[in-house]
Amino acid sequence: MNPQILQDLQAFHPEMMITLTLLAVIVVDLAAPSIRKSATFLIAALGLLLALAFTVPLYGAPQGTLFYGMVALDHMAVFFKGFLILTSFFVLLAAPGSRELSKDHIGEFYALLLGVTLGMVLLASAADLLMLFLSLETVSLGSYVMVGYLSNQRESNEASLKYILFGAVSTGCMLYGITLLFGLTGTTKMAEIRDVIAQGAGSGNNSLMLLVSTVLILAGFGFKTAAVPFHFWCPDVYTGAPTPVTAFLSVAPKAAGFATLIRFFFTGLSRTSVVGAQWSPFAAVNWTLLVLMISVVTMTLGNIAALRQDNMKRMLAYSSIAHAGYILMGPVVLSPLGLQAVLVYLITYLFMNLGAFLVVIEIYNRTGSFDLKDYRGLWRRSPFLTISMTIFMLSLMGIPPLAGFFGKFYVFAAAVNGNLAWYAVVGALNSVVAVYYYARVIKAMIIDASVEGVEGGAIRLSWTSQVLVWIMLLPTAGLMLFWDHIQQLTGSSVKLFFG
Amino acid sequence: MDANLVTQIVFYFFAALTVLSAAVVVFSRNLIHSAFALLFTFFGVAALYVFLGADFLAATQMVIYVGGILVLLIFGVMLTHKLYDMKLKSETYQFWPGLALMAIVFLSLVGVMLRTTWHSQGTRALNPTTAAIGELLMKEYILPFELASIFLLIALIGAAMIVRRRSE
Amino acid sequence: MIGLVHYLVISAALFSLGIMAVLTRKNAVNVLMGVELILNSANINLVAFSRFSSADLNGQVYAIFVIVIAAAEAAVALAIVLSMYRLLKSVDLDKADSLKG
Repeated sequence: MNPQILQDLQAFHPEMMITLTLLAVIVVDLAAPSIRKSATFLIAALGLLLALAFTVPLYGAPQGTLFYGMVALDHMAVFFKGFLILTSFFVLLAAPGSRELSKDHIGEFYALLLGVTLGMVLLASAADLLMLFLSLETVSLGSYVMVGYLSNQRESNEASLKYILFGAVSTGCMLYGITLLFGLTGTTKMAEIRDVIAQGAGSGNNSLMLLVSTVLILAGFGFKTAAVPFHFWCPDVYTGAPTPVTAFLSVAPKAAGFATLIRFFFTGLSRTSVVGAQWSPFAAVNWTLLVLMISVVTMTLGNIAALRQDNMKRMLAYSSIAHAGYILMGPVVLSPLGLQAVLVYLITYLFMNLGAFLVVIEIYNRTGSFDLKDYRGLWRRSPFLTISMTIFMLSLMGIPPLAGFFGKFYVFAAAVNGNLAWYAVVGALNSVVAVYYYARVIKAMIIDASVEGVEGGAIRLSWTSQVLVWIMLLPTAGLMLFWDHIQQLTGSSVKLFFG
Repeated sequence: MDANLVTQIVFYFFAALTVLSAAVVVFSRNLIHSAFALLFTFFGVAALYVFLGADFLAATQMVIYVGGILVLLIFGVMLTHKLYDMKLKSETYQFWPGLALMAIVFLSLVGVMLRTTWHSQGTRALNPTTAAIGELLMKEYILPFELASIFLLIALIGAAMIVRRRSE
Repeated sequence: MIGLVHYLVISAALFSLGIMAVLTRKNAVNVLMGVELILNSANINLVAFSRFSSADLNGQVYAIFVIVIAAAEAAVALAIVLSMYRLLKSVDLDKADSLKG
């Protein structure tokens, strides 16, 4: 075999592990029904842990591109690899405990989860537009199917139909934009695109075509991160999908979408003076303005729409749309601090969002409902769940000293540092508006107990569920204690490879 | 000179075939008419590939798009209507705003396209492409090639999982 | 002489027609046909640029992958549509309203 390919495989261990696990799960799923549920679960969990372990040594690997420039290996790619694999691992742990996922065919669910994880990892490190599109489609296709997992239920089916039709059109438009960029520059590698544009391919009349292709490509990115105006699928899909799938979608593919957005715009369409120090967009296409507008509209619309929601999943869907708006503040600022803000925000978002969804899953397991009115008096039935949910809601609001505060603090600080103080003010105002709908949940759980009689008995959680909630709870509440480590980790991960 | 003229006539014929049958796909009221017009669209696109010197791609287009995707679409049409429903009607909503939007998109795209100076490294000679594509797939594009196989595996598992009848 | 621009106009026409189908059609299978038109228009772009702009075969290889993706997407989309038909006895998109948008 080609020696370069063999050498590149040395740095490819996490992806190979995920692939091997995927194949193993498919094969073991053919075994007898009595053992295949637990066997596939164990194999998938073990495989993801090993893949995570293989990610750690990659921090010291030499930076560069792998496989003839298809995939980049730099600290930011390694960070996202670890982040995405960790998220999939947590969702995997939550899956068997959910009442919604049928036990019979859950081996296929694990296989899909692993396939989507592989796609996300490759998406976050894609350095070539073909690789970007192919991995984006892998993630999307797996997600479409995971959403429609409950194929005999009307909501799940409708959610997956809306998701696939919207997604196919968005990625189709993105592909058209990519082809126009290909025509302008003659190449699909992001680094070469930047070089060609720097030499003047985007000047004069071409800047209009560059703008058109950037807008079309943003359709795909906006779809993956659920940013306005490509967010229309989000509330329906989040509501109709099985809740573990919703939890997964709200964190992992969104994070992968942010990773590739950052890589595309920073490596492909920006000029950098000293490596990693400061970026500036090409005069031909002011993409920072586009992303800025999208970010402001996204956070505002997400927050305002969430105010009126009574269904927990739909409310959390709009909440995640709003959070995407905050996260987009990072790339707009075009500084290492902005990128670090994105990474910090994503870490906090992972734990608080997954935690909130875990509580929703547990309550659904007991009461069969996602409506806010069925959360009333939860304090009487399960103090543990109430306190946990309160902490997650407070963190999502951004109240110090919980984790969510640090994420927001970083993005606002990055905006102020980048001479965009008004932008931070808009974000802060939006956060204030958001307090209302998060507080409504807390109020229902704790205070409304005294208003009406509380139905149903005490809610006892299995020990696995308790452990999982604790795993989400501890980082959300105690992030302050690990602040140095988080700062160091994210600060060193901001290096992008520009070759 | 004569060969050039014939080439141009044949090209315009296939171009018209492609665009007109695409128009039938979009505007026809009958679903089966749309499906068969799509067949002609795919065929026209394959002919355009031949004009562009992409021989392997033209054959692939015919085999996969016409032989695979179109057959699948026609299955989809047939399986989602009752047997006695001969009309196979397909309705539209908001036809005129959609038409206006389509015209705007088309005219603005063409307008911007005509003004652009496209990247030009010369025109590729019309050589057979199959061997060269095979080499590219095994060297430069090996990673997308392998990812595509995982992608197809996911699609296979997913589609089968959705359509299988649940026993519960 | 047939130049790059001819192919670009054809692909722009297919793209706009595809967008029109996606926006205005009620039948789910019809919307899918619109998506196929969009993907084909992008493919024409890729192959035309491969011939005239980059003068190598990268565009054609990209087009092969797009064909693969389109096929898989169509298969999964039809699986979901069939599942919808089984539940609702119709594939009219108006009937997909149980989740209040």
